[in-house]
Amino acid sequence: MNRLKYIVKRVLMSVPVLWLGTSMTWFIIYQGPVDPAANLLSGNERLTEAKYEAARTELGLDQPPLQHYVDWMWSLFTLDLGQTWLVYTGSNVGALVLDFLPRTVWLGFWSVLIAICIGVPLGFYAGIRSNSVADYVASVSGIVWRAMPNFWLAVILLALLVGSESLFGFDWDTFLITLPSGVTGNPGLSYMAGDPLALFTQPRETLAAIKKILPAALVLGSASMGNEMRIGRTAVLETKNEQYVDFARARGVPGRAIVWKHVFRNALVPLVPVITTEAFLLIGGSVLVESVFGINGMGKLFFDAAIQGDLPLVGSLMFVFIVLMLTINIAQDILYTLIDPRVGYDGT
Amino acid sequence: MATPTRTLTDGEAAPLRDRIMANPRPAATWLAVTAVLFALQAGALVEFMAALLADAAAALPGVAVPAAVLALERAADAVPTLLSRETIPNQGYYNGSGYVGTFLGLSPDLAWLLRATLIYAYSFVTLGWLWVGYERYRTHYRIADWTPRDDVIDRFREHKWGLFGVAVVAMFFVMVLFAPALSPTTTAANLEDPYGNELTYWTGDGTQTVTVGQANLGSQSQGTPQENVGPMQYDDYGRIHPFGTLPSGKDLFTFIAHGSRISLIIGLVSVGLSVSIAVVLALVTAYYKGKIDLGAVLVSDAVMGMPQLLLLIMLSVILSGTWIGKIYSGAFVLALIFAGTGWPAMWRSFRGPALQVSNREWVDAAKSFGQTPTAIMRKHMLPYITGYVLVYGSMTLGGAIIAIAGLSFLGLGVNPPTPEWGRAVNAGQDYVTTASWHISLIPGILITLVVTGFNALGDGVRDAIDPESDAEDQGGASGRGGGA
Repeated sequence: MNRLKYIVKRVLMSVPVLWLGTSMTWFIIYQGPVDPAANLLSGNERLTEAKYEAARTELGLDQPPLQHYVDWMWSLFTLDLGQTWLVYTGSNVGALVLDFLPRTVWLGFWSVLIAICIGVPLGFYAGIRSNSVADYVASVSGIVWRAMPNFWLAVILLALLVGSESLFGFDWDTFLITLPSGVTGNPGLSYMAGDPLALFTQPRETLAAIKKILPAALVLGSASMGNEMRIGRTAVLETKNEQYVDFARARGVPGRAIVWKHVFRNALVPLVPVITTEAFLLIGGSVLVESVFGINGMGKLFFDAAIQGDLPLVGSLMFVFIVLMLTINIAQDILYTLIDPRVGYDGT
Repeated sequence: MATPTRTLTDGEAAPLRDRIMANPRPAATWLAVTAVLFALQAGALVEFMAALLADAAAALPGVAVPAAVLALERAADAVPTLLSRETIPNQGYYNGSGYVGTFLGLSPDLAWLLRATLIYAYSFVTLGWLWVGYERYRTHYRIADWTPRDDVIDRFREHKWGLFGVAVVAMFFVMVLFAPALSPTTTAANLEDPYGNELTYWTGDGTQTVTVGQANLGSQSQGTPQENVGPMQYDDYGRIHPFGTLPSGKDLFTFIAHGSRISLIIGLVSVGLSVSIAVVLALVTAYYKGKIDLGAVLVSDAVMGMPQLLLLIMLSVILSGTWIGKIYSGAFVLALIFAGTGWPAMWRSFRGPALQVSNREWVDAAKSFGQTPTAIMRKHMLPYITGYVLVYGSMTLGGAIIAIAGLSFLGLGVNPPTPEWGRAVNAGQDYVTTASWHISLIPGILITLVVTGFNALGDGVRDAIDPESDAEDQGGASGRGGGA
């Protein structure tokens, strides 16, 4: 099977998953014990029959369930996400998602990057110097990173940064780049609107946005960092004992070249699926981290919708998340075949 | 050594009772010490069971707790217990010349420390004694000189990291089991009904009586040095607070000790359920393969396609109003949701090993002998994946504790006033850099420690069962509670 066929098969495989996941969401929300229409009305409105009926009609709940299911699925798959009721009342969900998604993607991107930049080198270092003091320190701290709850870490880090001036003698707000709105809040990404190249042409803005997201990204990436370290260490330990490394050494290849050319490149392979499976953690963790750091991203939007009972919005957002997860998964599989051609195309 | 020279199967050997009769000394001494150890603390165990029963009865919708259960709970309280609040009381007051009501007139902090130390010492002695019991069985009564499981146990005993995990998990279990005795005060008096209980304190020139609620108002931790009761400090009413107080003035240690109960119960129920689903499904899909396997892959992919924490949030919001959402302060439904969203990841981890076993020749042989599929799965496949059950069960339990704490941090899940660790972190989040740092910091450190302990236990078991395997690597997300 060639690569193209594999990719097509992979995409086709994800269609039933998307359908099942979305159907489950529909069932939970519209056939669950909570009446979505009644939930959308305030206390007084709930008493008036007319308002309630209007809400039901608007949501399509006056139709038979099957008809409603088909309509609902159809509108989602045609990317008509409906409107909000309680959260940012009356806005178009599609527009809202487009507005909120970049912040979450920015957060996710930096949390993955930070985790890789710290976790992988530390893990490789620990693997090369295995059973040294440095290895033990790195391994134990990786394990502890993994076990720390994100929400708690976020609370602690936020408090430390807010009080940085009195605690450490330097003020985080004015450190390198001044952030007018303090530690919490949205990263300023609006400068990139309509001009993605501004990311490079306006480095000041970019740096400010990075600095803003840095604490949240560090927290969100903490678990992944521990994971990557652990697996990086194991991978190096395993590769180090391969025959081709011994052979290269016997041929007189200098140690540095062995490490860079033979050990690292092969040790990177098992890290790819790890990095992408972290996407699951990132999306889940974004709810807590965005709530603590006050970032108006997808996670916070979902949480607000759930708390305030805007169930139609919850459903639409869940659909967006499912699509997001599937995309990341497919991207991972494709990336994997590119990096390591030995991976079979028939495995699921 | 009671080992016969000839190899015997279990059926041929004398029953265990006869083997003990032939050499009763080690068993008798062991049983005698066990009985003494048990008698010392029988009350605490009965109390725990009675409390569970009462909670379960209270959880049923529309049913008043039967009088018999309440009577049982009272009777359980009356069973004498050596290491209890009654025998070593720490709640007393200073009357100008000495302490009244505390153990031997010790100051409350010493009395509490003594009790806590004794409880932990007792627990570890008991655990050690159980181990002695196993060793005695192994040397005196077991027929086989050696079994493959001995190697596993010996490897685990060499595994320092795994032993650390056992120690941490054991300490956590002791906290769960002895929560009422460990706490410096009771949940009823301090957390649930503070205005219905009174305490006496020394005002400086005399004693006075106030309600606990009034005293709590005077011992709040609000961040300023004046309004703060830190770890191992006394408040103005002469009460000792081992972990300080909450912003509401309630005792943090009591809150945490009782919160550990709910964390563990949700964790155990949910992990138990999802392990059962995952194991059955793994056996069935590995045995039949083909379409059933494909169907399970699709369903599990669909469930895993929805981020677990988001699914937890959505379901706990939707189910919170129903009768099932009210059972055990919402903890029960949380356990169910957790099991319902957690089994796919676990099944994925069991699927590989189960598939490997199903391809072995003894499964084929059993098939050709005409054994039924259920018998094959149970007798010839299940024993080979039980090790993985322990590994993933332990790691998922840690993840469940994080996720539950994360939900209650957000104000979902376990309803107040039932204590939950995440809620303490939430309560203290404005005070982290102030004098009241303890409110958020201590529960967080405890969660980290307990989760590390469960992960270490899982690592140790994995290395003991199969030193070559790297089972955890593909399921690295399992110990993380969906990113909470």
